[in-house]
Amino acid sequence: MLCKLAWGNVRRAGRDYLVYLLTLTLGVTVFYAFNTISMQVDIAGIDEKGLAQVMGSMLGDLTYFLAGVMAFLMVYANNFIMKRRKKEFGLYQVLGMGRGRVATIMALETVIVSVVAFVAGIVLGVGLSQLMTFFTASLFKTQIANFHFFFSVHAFNLTLACMLVMFVLTLLLNLRAVRRTKLIELMGAERRNESIKTRNPWIAIAIFAVGVALVGVAYYRLLRDGFPLTATDSKLQEAMNQFGITTAMVAVGTFALFWGLSGMLIKLLQSLRGVYWRGLNMFTVRQLAAKVNTVCFSMGVIAMLLFLAITSVTCGMSIANVMNENLERYNPVDVSQTYVYYTPDTLDYYKEYVNPPEADRMVLADTTVDLYPAWHGDPWHGDRIDSDNVADGIKGKSADNNDETGKKVNIADVAGEHVQIDSYLSYPFGGSNPSVTPSEMCKTMGEKLPKAFGGSNADTMGLFVTPASQYNKLRQMMGEEPVHIGHDQYLLTCDMGGELVDMYTKYMAGGHALTLGGHTLKPATDKSDEDTAAIANSAMGSNPGTVVVADELLSQLNLQPYSSSLLVNYKQGMDTTEADESIKYTLLDNLLVDGKEPGSWGTFITRSEMYTQAAQMNGLISYLAIYIGFVLVVACAAILSIQQLSNVADGSRSYRVLAQIGCEDRQIRHSVMAQQAVFFLFPLAVGLAHSFVALKVIIELVSIFGNMSIGGTVGLTCAIFLAAYGGYFLVTYLMSAGMVQAAIATRYSE
Amino acid sequence: MQTTHMATPVLEVAHLEKVYGALGNVTRALNDVSFTVNRGEFVGIMGASGSGKSTLLNCVSTIDSATSGTIRINGQDVTRMKQAKLSQFRREELGFIFQDSNLLDTLTARENIALPLTIARTNSAEISTRVQDVAARLSISQVLDKYPYQMSGGQQQRVAAARALVTDPTMIMADEPTGALDSKSARLLLESLEALNRRLRATVLMVTHDSFAASYTSRVLFIRDGKIFTELRRGDTGRREFFDRIMEVVAMMGGEGSDAL
Repeated sequence: MLCKLAWGNVRRAGRDYLVYLLTLTLGVTVFYAFNTISMQVDIAGIDEKGLAQVMGSMLGDLTYFLAGVMAFLMVYANNFIMKRRKKEFGLYQVLGMGRGRVATIMALETVIVSVVAFVAGIVLGVGLSQLMTFFTASLFKTQIANFHFFFSVHAFNLTLACMLVMFVLTLLLNLRAVRRTKLIELMGAERRNESIKTRNPWIAIAIFAVGVALVGVAYYRLLRDGFPLTATDSKLQEAMNQFGITTAMVAVGTFALFWGLSGMLIKLLQSLRGVYWRGLNMFTVRQLAAKVNTVCFSMGVIAMLLFLAITSVTCGMSIANVMNENLERYNPVDVSQTYVYYTPDTLDYYKEYVNPPEADRMVLADTTVDLYPAWHGDPWHGDRIDSDNVADGIKGKSADNNDETGKKVNIADVAGEHVQIDSYLSYPFGGSNPSVTPSEMCKTMGEKLPKAFGGSNADTMGLFVTPASQYNKLRQMMGEEPVHIGHDQYLLTCDMGGELVDMYTKYMAGGHALTLGGHTLKPATDKSDEDTAAIANSAMGSNPGTVVVADELLSQLNLQPYSSSLLVNYKQGMDTTEADESIKYTLLDNLLVDGKEPGSWGTFITRSEMYTQAAQMNGLISYLAIYIGFVLVVACAAILSIQQLSNVADGSRSYRVLAQIGCEDRQIRHSVMAQQAVFFLFPLAVGLAHSFVALKVIIELVSIFGNMSIGGTVGLTCAIFLAAYGGYFLVTYLMSAGMVQAAIATRYSE
Repeated sequence: MQTTHMATPVLEVAHLEKVYGALGNVTRALNDVSFTVNRGEFVGIMGASGSGKSTLLNCVSTIDSATSGTIRINGQDVTRMKQAKLSQFRREELGFIFQDSNLLDTLTARENIALPLTIARTNSAEISTRVQDVAARLSISQVLDKYPYQMSGGQQQRVAAARALVTDPTMIMADEPTGALDSKSARLLLESLEALNRRLRATVLMVTHDSFAASYTSRVLFIRDGKIFTELRRGDTGRREFFDRIMEVVAMMGGEGSDAL
């Protein structure tokens, strides 16, 4: 019996429940689809293990975030429906039904709607995830080799669990509402909604002005101070505090702006008498004012969410772009191979803990080795291994791995132009205390050590030292003029970005001297180099700081070698992919000097490999940015949509009256359109304004790494977002127009 | 309209029929109703619930369509008008007063009254003077800047009346205007309507089931089962006497438990 009643209610209150149902379904769909990303990645043919891991951990956190957004949306939709059903529940009680039974009916209704939404959501989600696979593939620039229908049990379970939690939550909220609310309030719920809160327009205008002022000042402060990330350590805390104040100002200002909006609108339009007293303008404005008052908080939230969405998407994608742009600088040559020498520390370590007989073969290098003639080895016939494991693979090479055909792979087969860059530590052979360290340099300048050094071994190890001839040869290969470095001069190079490069430049510009093995050196230029600073190919930079000195000086100093890198460009006209393939899987022969190993082969990195990885990273960032942005935008639009539809439902009597006193349907529809446009466009405009200012600052910040451009993919993404937002607006309007039409038409049957 | 002759017909209803439902389940709400209202008349339509009186008013006021028959207002046949034309017609020729005042909650009294004028795109200076005038006539000048929920029920009804009058309509349609009012407010509203009719020669068509309200009119049409049962003219008799005569008809019509008192 109760079931029948509940089912009847759901069907009868169809329109109200439709909004709730749609929201719920949407939530389930998005949630399920999101959690199938790892499967999509699989099917899209992205076989990078590291990427899958990074994605897995990021998705884990984001799932919580998404669940939070979903919960907010559902509680909101639930409140909407409860508000509309209160009277009915009151009526049941008046008719003598116990509260327990009323609660049961309501719970049953919630169950029905939830189950329908869940099933529909999962079906749509399964469909969406198939489609998204193609989107994923295009973002990661891969081909789908083997597309097949897939269903993720994991995602299904997660969604189910999430739904159950939310279901219980909404049920508890609703039961509490029924239990707590007095009968008179339930019965009068409809009437009570009609009394409008009016605000003193002058106070509203004042608050609006305060809001605008706060936002304006916050903009100014942000543009002046930037983000606290760029502040030096000594001022960081203060900068963070200032930034906190700016953030609070924007937030408070935004809410104040919406709080006072209605009063401002009314006064503004009333002052234009010809406009106010014309057509339905007066009605539109008053209707807006009445609603803006009750929804100003959620409008503020929406403006902030849109701001977050726009900024995160634009920013994420632009950073990915910047990373792509820097890739060229980080990877100056087709392929690089590093050789790392044993230092006294590593030797001690090996001798003490690892395989002493093997340690006996090791020797401390007193000079660097020529890598070019030494680079040869056997082709690897086992499982293909990626760059991270090459070193392990080489270590694993044992004497019995003798299946070679006798034909060695040799770098000379593919190498065109090449250069070897030797990095020495800044202490003499066999020593242990670096003489040039970032912290010493900062002490000289009277500044604090940049945060970027924190936790890295760049400081304890000190700067590297490299001969000028090698550095200049690389410059030449990259098409740059050589830099003259005199006997008593030095040049600092670093390719690791903003803060570090800034510090080195500051040091050189300040004319500070460096002492190396008793020689005092002066800066050769007033700027540290970052464009030709790479030591080897890398994803994010390979050179935390190097002192380039004259060759003669270096040979006098007798420094401890740290590593050598062979940077090779393929022969002219050689196919890069073929060349990569021909040398990529090689077990390099041990490099022996007088029968002993001075070090071990390090990373082997081809430029194309880095580019592929970057494309995937870029894909990942874009993907998440788009996804988060999309979820936020859709959530905002859904909330607005629910609000507007409920407004129209509340106002149906007004629209009927308008029709009765001779207002044409077209005019009424225009009024509805105008009202909804304000609700959709104002938060968007405020969010865009915030984003614009924030992005301006972000661009400045990120431009330290490289020139950030917003366009192309970002533009397209924004266009898609606006289309989604606009689509919601359109659907809401069409539904509203239908509701208005129905409301007007009911006059005939009364 | 002040100078027009008494005998000019404003409303002519001929053989009006309204049928609800279809096939086997037909309700004949109006069955061959014909009558005429002259300019400056204050006509009441009385009947029990379900007698068809509200259907009649809805048809006449163009917010419902008739099944057959003609309704002429100022010589124009409204049953043949297109939807868009109807809106304009309602705006220009008719004024409405409903049982619940039907004021818009979000608008002040002044704005509510001005609404029909702004819809018709009257210029703002004229709107202002006309609203002031009509408000003064209905003694609601002091509540013009209040919102409906800040007014008493009687004030709300008079604001609604002002909204109906502000366009100088050919005819005012009132549907149970006193239905939701206490007796004092009801009397005030009826006196206002009577004064409008007497002094400004406004034509009023009022549907009611309340004999007391009907006694303010100059002629009462009684409807039963979708047909005009009889008609009473007040003539030169006083209101109290007219009330007694109405009561007699009501008693005669609804012997078996009519709610039309």
